[in-house]
Amino acid sequence: MATISLNTIEKGIDTTADTVIRNESYFSDLDGLAGDGDFGTSLATGFKVIKKDLPEIDKPDIGAMLLKLSMIVSKHVGGSSGPIWGTGFMKAALPSKGKTDLSLTEFAAMIGNAVDGIMARGGAQLGDKTLLDALIPVSEKLKEHAASGTDDLSAVLRDCAEIADKAVDETRKLVAHRGRASQVGERSADTPDPGIVAIATILADWCKANGVDYAPNAAEVQKASA
Amino acid sequence: MKKFVNKPEDFVPEFMAGVLAANPDLLEGDLEFQMVKRKDRPVDNKVSIVQGSGSGHEPAHVMAVGPGMLDGACQGPVFAAPPVDACYETIKALATPAGVLVLVNNYQGDRMAWDTAVELAQAEDIKVEQFWINDDVAVKDSLYTVGRRGVAGNFFVMKACGAAAEEGKSLEEVMAIAEKVNNNVRTMGVALTSCIPPAKGTPIFDIADDEMEVGVGIHGEPGRERAKITNADDITKTLFDAVADDLPFNDGDRVALMVNGLGGTPPAELYVLYNKAAKLCEERGLTIARNYVGEYCTSLEMAGASITMLKLDADLEKYLDAPAETATRIF
Repeated sequence: MATISLNTIEKGIDTTADTVIRNESYFSDLDGLAGDGDFGTSLATGFKVIKKDLPEIDKPDIGAMLLKLSMIVSKHVGGSSGPIWGTGFMKAALPSKGKTDLSLTEFAAMIGNAVDGIMARGGAQLGDKTLLDALIPVSEKLKEHAASGTDDLSAVLRDCAEIADKAVDETRKLVAHRGRASQVGERSADTPDPGIVAIATILADWCKANGVDYAPNAAEVQKASA
Repeated sequence: MKKFVNKPEDFVPEFMAGVLAANPDLLEGDLEFQMVKRKDRPVDNKVSIVQGSGSGHEPAHVMAVGPGMLDGACQGPVFAAPPVDACYETIKALATPAGVLVLVNNYQGDRMAWDTAVELAQAEDIKVEQFWINDDVAVKDSLYTVGRRGVAGNFFVMKACGAAAEEGKSLEEVMAIAEKVNNNVRTMGVALTSCIPPAKGTPIFDIADDEMEVGVGIHGEPGRERAKITNADDITKTLFDAVADDLPFNDGDRVALMVNGLGGTPPAELYVLYNKAAKLCEERGLTIARNYVGEYCTSLEMAGASITMLKLDADLEKYLDAPAETATRIF
């Protein structure tokens, strides 16, 4: 059965840091359309520390590594991104404590726990035009693949990247219901949500880093992953 | 970008270090957690009043620390909520048996950061509660959004809670006062220009020379509409009517009236706005019991202003009258 190792997750986090740091200005520009323009900077501040500390931090197991990342985020990331990503890492750390390899079923459960935690922290649901509009379908897709017993992790990753990429355009017309963009009402329609773009770009970059062929469709994801 | 900045990432810690250096008798701080507190607080028998939000709104929030105002505050990066650790350490530093009241401006980031920090502190048996401020009438309140934003009306909540806490009121009583102020205060702002967060280096939004953003947020968020600029009296009336109709304020009410500069508007222009606003109060039969003209809650160098009005009762008037001292001194 296919497993996902600590090393794979560590590499994924390192790739994520590259994605976020490279897009510091671009993600802030996207946030400035309906929000306050801090998203790129806030997230990059934390991931710069993660990028630097990741090789050195103690990694006895996946849970311990993710808990440490949660602590870095709590200390260094301001704005909405701090509690969202900090909660995400912390909730992902709980079910992966003591494990150095995860089956796809365990991995899907870990992501599911993180997504539930983020929903509880911010009170957002599917359709509120937040990063959960990418994360929830990705989490569901993971569970579906896990249930099918597939061994083809490349196909799973490609599916996840595609579903997050689609969420960018599917939510573009929506009016935000959470986050600072919700406080501008109708004026948040016709702008892409920067959190959704970030998740889709991270997954597109994971594809690239793992030799999985995927070409993003949403204009913003194309630009951010270029 | 032309700014007095060394390195953009050092902007917040350096300005906070400056506030501490300028107020050695009044303040101390822990810059690892972007936190400033009164040197002589906490004390056992007084509720600590705490606030923390993004930077770029000075003199809110760390410069509002002092006797009769905040006991402590922490700052996030420019326009972004403080990290959870900063909020938690600030609560811990001001913890007292009388309790800590956190005054949170109603933004998603601030709410989540303080929610998490309050949960952590309560898990350690620290007595702490939070109160959300939401005075911006530009935003439609709704169950389906985060709701109205907290803007300059924040000052009145801090002032009244600070005075009530000095008087020895309990945590529950101070919270009731926060609620009373928040229920009776309304604000709306207008921007003539954008502003430049140092880390971003470019304006946060584009606005043409002949345009204004009516109902702008203090982070440059869009407001009610992008309109052609008119004269000062018309702009004042637009803001004033939006504020006065919202509560509403009625004939015979005693009010506190604030004209707040957003950072890039000269004091003289603020008095032009005040002159008209005072006349509009008179037309509506409102008595201005106290007035505030100056910078209380800014948006970096944004040219613009907001009008805030608070409906007073004898209690609130007493709390606004009470002495206070902050890091912002003019004498």
